[in-house]
Amino acid sequence: MKKIYFLGTLAFVALAVFQACEKDLPTSLKFSPYAYESLDENGGTWKPVLLDSTTQIGIPAPEDASSAAYQAELADLKAASSDLTSDQEKAVAYWSGDGLVRWNEIARDLAAKYNLPPAPKPDGTYGAPDPANPSSIPNFPFAHPPYACRMFAYWSIAQFDALIAAWHYKYEYNRPAAYKTDVGINTHLPQNDLPGYPSDGAVVAAVSKRILIAMFPLEKAYIEELAEEHLNSLQWAGISTESDIVWGDSLGRGVAGKFLARAGSDGMKAAQTPKPISDSLRVAAKAQFGWQWDNLEAPTRPVGITPYFGRVKPWCIPNVEAVRPPVPPAPGSAEFIKDAEELKEITSNLTEEQRKIANFWSDGPSTYTPPGHWNRFAADEIVDHRLNPLRAARVLAYMNMAIMDAGISCWDAKYYYHYARPIQALPGFKTILGTPNFPSYTSGHSTFSAAAAAVLGHIFPAEAAKFDNWAKEAAESRIYGGIHYRFDADMGNEQGKACANYAVDVAKADGAE
Amino acid sequence: MNKIILKWLQLLAVCTVLSIPRLMAQTPTDAIMMDKGRLCVAAIYGHDTWDEYWEGTLKRSNGNIGTLTRQSVMGMFSLGVTDRINVLGALPWIKTEASAGQMKGVQGIQDWGVWVKARAIDFKVGPGSLGFYPVLGLTGPASNYLSDYLPFSLGLGTVEASGRGILIYELDMGLYVRAHAAYHVRSNTTIERDYYYIPGAGGVYSDEVDMPNVSSFGATLGALLLNNNLKVEATYEGMNTLGGADIRLHDMPFPSNNMDLTRAGLSLQYYIPLGNGHILSVIAGGSQVLTGRNVGQSTAWMGGLTYQFGVFGNKNTNATN
Repeated sequence: MKKIYFLGTLAFVALAVFQACEKDLPTSLKFSPYAYESLDENGGTWKPVLLDSTTQIGIPAPEDASSAAYQAELADLKAASSDLTSDQEKAVAYWSGDGLVRWNEIARDLAAKYNLPPAPKPDGTYGAPDPANPSSIPNFPFAHPPYACRMFAYWSIAQFDALIAAWHYKYEYNRPAAYKTDVGINTHLPQNDLPGYPSDGAVVAAVSKRILIAMFPLEKAYIEELAEEHLNSLQWAGISTESDIVWGDSLGRGVAGKFLARAGSDGMKAAQTPKPISDSLRVAAKAQFGWQWDNLEAPTRPVGITPYFGRVKPWCIPNVEAVRPPVPPAPGSAEFIKDAEELKEITSNLTEEQRKIANFWSDGPSTYTPPGHWNRFAADEIVDHRLNPLRAARVLAYMNMAIMDAGISCWDAKYYYHYARPIQALPGFKTILGTPNFPSYTSGHSTFSAAAAAVLGHIFPAEAAKFDNWAKEAAESRIYGGIHYRFDADMGNEQGKACANYAVDVAKADGAE
Repeated sequence: MNKIILKWLQLLAVCTVLSIPRLMAQTPTDAIMMDKGRLCVAAIYGHDTWDEYWEGTLKRSNGNIGTLTRQSVMGMFSLGVTDRINVLGALPWIKTEASAGQMKGVQGIQDWGVWVKARAIDFKVGPGSLGFYPVLGLTGPASNYLSDYLPFSLGLGTVEASGRGILIYELDMGLYVRAHAAYHVRSNTTIERDYYYIPGAGGVYSDEVDMPNVSSFGATLGALLLNNNLKVEATYEGMNTLGGADIRLHDMPFPSNNMDLTRAGLSLQYYIPLGNGHILSVIAGGSQVLTGRNVGQSTAWMGGLTYQFGVFGNKNTNATN
C-alpha cells in the first residue's frame, strides 16, 4: 500500500519535473553572430530600386580617424563595450550587428499580431480599420496578405536601397572600423574589413523604425524601444562609434522617407473600396462571365479584402494585364467538373499527410501570412549563407518585390474574374481551413509562393528545386484545405512565376551578379 | 447492500468547451471503490451543445458556427485490485459538428485515461463516516487527432498527469457530501504548423505549444434512496487554467488558451441486482456551464449502462462506499 503511494507520487513528481525541464520554445531564429562570407566591396555601385541615385540622400564626410572628436568617440566606445552586463551581452548576440534578420522577424510578428479580420458588431455590421484613427476598433491595420506583402516589400526594398547608399559612403569616405583604428577596443562580434562610417546596423534600425511605425502605428513605442536597443547593442558590441550610428540613422531615415512617399501614393489607400465599387466588380463579372463570388460568412461581409489591390502600383511587372491568367473553367464545364470532383474526393478522404500539408501552409489569421512564411525561408538562407546585410537585403528586396507584384496580379485576377469558392459552388461542401474573404481564382498562396520561390531559386540556384517544391506544396495545400480548385492553384503558380521573371530581370541588371 | 457501484457522472458531463474539459470528462472524482476482484465496465453516451461561447470574457454567438454539438461514446472500467486500491480506465470516441458555417466536423478516438484510486483514510465520525481518497491519473492522446482545430478538435493533445484528493462525509442514513480538488500537469501539445502567435507574448517558431497547467475542484451533495438502489447527486464543479492567453476579438481559439469554467449538474443512477454478484445500473444526468472563459457555454446530458461482476477473489462481494 505505502509502496504504491510512493510509486504514484514519484510518477507524478517525475512528470512535473519533466515538464519543468521542457525547453523554452524558440521565439526567434537561433544563430550565432557570423563573419560575412563576402563584403561586396563594390556594393555602392549597385543600382538602387527607388532612389534616383545612390547619393540622393547625402551624409557629410566624417571626422578624420585622427581627429580629437573621433578619438573621443573611440574612448566612449571603449567604455561602452567593456564590462557588459549579461543583458547587454544577450542584446549584442541577438541583434548580431546589422540586425536585418531580427527586424524581418519583428515585422513577421507584427504581421501576425495584426492579421485579424474585423469582428461583427452586435447589429451585424462590420467596422473597418481606420488609418487616421488606428486605435479605434477594429485596430488599424488588418494585416491580411495584401497588406503584409506590401509591408514586407517597402521594408525590404528600403533596406536594400539604403544599404547600397551606405556601402557607397563607406567606401567613398573609407573611414576604417573603430576597432581597426583602436585595436584596444574589446569587440563582441566578428570583425571585418568594412569601413565603419556609416554604421550599416544603424541604417537597418532607422529604416525598420520608420517603415514599421508607418505600417503599424500603434506599435510606435514598442518599435522605438527595439530600435534603441539595437543601436545601443552596436556600441556594447564595440563596433560602431557615435558618428557611425548618427549618420547611419540619418541615411536610413532619409531613404525610408522616400519609400513612405511612394507608399503614400501607390494606390493602397483606395484598395479597400467602398461597397458600391465592390458591388460593381461583381456585377461586371456576372455580366462578362456569367458568375460571381459571394462572401458566405454570417453576417455577410459587405466587401471582400482589398478589391482594388490589383490597382496598386507594382515594382517590376509593367501592368496587371501583362500577367493576367486566362479565363478559368466555367462552372459546369468538363474541366470544372474534373477539378471539383477531385476536390471532393481529396477532402472526403484526406490523409494525415495531406492534413499536415494543409495546416503547415495555412498561414491564416494570426499568422505572418504566406509572404511572411517566405520571408522566414529567406532569412534562414541568409543565415545559412552568412550573407552581409547588403547582400541579405538584396535577397529580401527582390523576393518581396516579386511577392508584392504577384499579390497585385493575383488580386487583379481575383476581382476581375470574381470566381466562386468551392463552398459556394459545391452544395454542402465543407472545409478544414476557413475560406478567406476574397474570390477564388487564382490562389494567393500559390501565386505568392511561386514568385518567392522563383527569386530565391535565382539567387540560390543550388537550392532552386527545393524552393520550387515548396511552392508547389503550398499550392497543393489549398486544395487539401478545401478552399481552392486545382486550376486556382496551378494557374496561381504560373502567374507567380511570370511576375517573378520581371523581378529577376531587374536583379540581373543591378550590378550585383 | 447495493451501494453505489460507479458514479460516472462527472466523468460524463462531457465536453463543454470550445475545447475539451477532458479533465472534467474522465477524471474519476467520486469515492466509490470496487472490492477486490470486482470489475465494473460502462458504456456511456454523451451529448453536449453550445451556441454561445466566451471570447476571453466576452460572451458571444457566432453565425459561422451556429450550435456546436459534441457527441461521445465512452467505454470505461474500474477494477478492484485490492479492497483499497482501484484502477480505472476510459477511452472516448467523439464526434463534433457545427450547425452553421462551412467548417468540417471531426470524429475519432480522443484520449486514453488511467487512474489509480486508493482508500487512504476511512473512519467513523459522529453519525457517519469520513473518507479520504487520493487519485493519480494519466491521460494522453489515443489517436493522431489535431489539437489545433478548436472548437472542432477532439481534444487538446497533451499528456496530462493529475493528482487529486477526494474527501467524503457520509451519514449512515445515506446522505453524503463530497469535495475534491486536483492539479493537472500538462505536457506540450503538437500542432501541424511551426509558427504561431500568442497574444501578449509574440511569435513562436515551433510546432510545440506550451500548455499551462490546470486546477479543478468539485463539490457534491448526494443521497441513496429506495433502499439504496437509487443514487441522486447534485454537483458544482469548475476548472481553472493556470495561464494562457484569451481568444482575441473574432480570432480563432488556440489549445493553450486560458480556459476556465464552472458548471452545475444533476445525476441519477439506478442499480438492478441480477444475482450472483452481478449488478446492472442505468445512469443519466445533465449539466450546465454557468460561467466561463474561452470556452463554450454548454448544456450537456448523458446516459448509459454499467455492469459489475466479480472476476477474481470473492465474487459475491459488492462495491462498498
